[in-house]
Amino acid sequence: MGLLTNILLAPFLGPIWGTKWTLDKVDRAVREELTDDTPIKEDLMALQLQLEMGEIDDAEYVRREKEIMQRFREVREWREKLGMPTSGGPVRVAEDDETE
Amino acid sequence: MTSGESAAERSEPAPGDNTGEGKYVYCIIRLDRSREFGEIGIGGGARVYAVNHNDLAAVVSDTPIVIYDPTRENVLAHEFVNETVMREFTLIPMSFGTVFRSEKDVLALLKSTYQAFTDVLEKMQDKIEFGLKVLWDRDKVVAAVERDNDEIRRLKDEITRNAASSTYFARMQLGRLVEAAMEEASNRYVVDVHDQLKDVSVASRSNKVIGDRMILNAAFLVDRQAEKQFDEKVKSISRQYEDLLNFKYTGPWPPYNFVNIKLKLEKAT
Repeated sequence: MGLLTNILLAPFLGPIWGTKWTLDKVDRAVREELTDDTPIKEDLMALQLQLEMGEIDDAEYVRREKEIMQRFREVREWREKLGMPTSGGPVRVAEDDETE
Repeated sequence: MTSGESAAERSEPAPGDNTGEGKYVYCIIRLDRSREFGEIGIGGGARVYAVNHNDLAAVVSDTPIVIYDPTRENVLAHEFVNETVMREFTLIPMSFGTVFRSEKDVLALLKSTYQAFTDVLEKMQDKIEFGLKVLWDRDKVVAAVERDNDEIRRLKDEITRNAASSTYFARMQLGRLVEAAMEEASNRYVVDVHDQLKDVSVASRSNKVIGDRMILNAAFLVDRQAEKQFDEKVKSISRQYEDLLNFKYTGPWPPYNFVNIKLKLEKAT
């Protein structure tokens, strides 16, 4: 959670040159970090590769997979909270001229 | 449609919770009658079978309404079903974790996307996918680059000879030269691999590389009849580069990377 930590702490540690623009920007960046599962997918793929290459054993894989799954769930929760589309869960064919 | 009960449960199904109500969809195939694929489904060996609409079928298993985490176990179950189906059928793979509330909803998908599924199945007829990841052994590539590049060799000799007096600048310059030469070598390898596989594949797609040792992460669409030629070609390329590169070759897969139907799906409430 490097980026997020930096963003959350920066205003307290650094000089106060914040403006409305910065606040918007921070908000957007935090939102993005909370709701983007791309880096999690990449971590999962990297983990799989490590297992395939014999760099980690099964137990280590299972342990780290658990952490990654937890991160997926957190992102999904944030997306739900913020009313963004999520993957997983039941779906149905969208009805054309219906927006809810 | 109005919302009934609330959204999905998370992770593992609670016992007795809507069990068997939903349908997990693995893939779409052309089939106009019922068919069983065995008890190989996600969630511990659920029965896998076909749900038909005209000459199309969705390959499904019954499931509680849950969100499936992409754990290795779940992903392997999903893939294993598709591999099994693929032995006999050309298929359009569904994304991992696609769950419909009922058979009726699955039929609605087949009906509404009938034409697109039919067209894609036609295009993908007898096509299979192979994955090829190429990783380099950094030390060996560095050694090769130093051997083949006069300027790098000369600079390196100079630095070693005058270890004490050699400047920070000279070392920096060497580092930069090596980096550039590595980059150039990596591009050359990747282009060569693609060139050699062009004649034995129908299409290829490069995906983002994973980690810092991977230089190629590609998918190739191959005609079933050309599978053997493709296979032999990959082996010959990996022999050609065996001192420098590590080839990870997987498949046959369903054409995950070559089918892109935008399904109009929404969250079922």
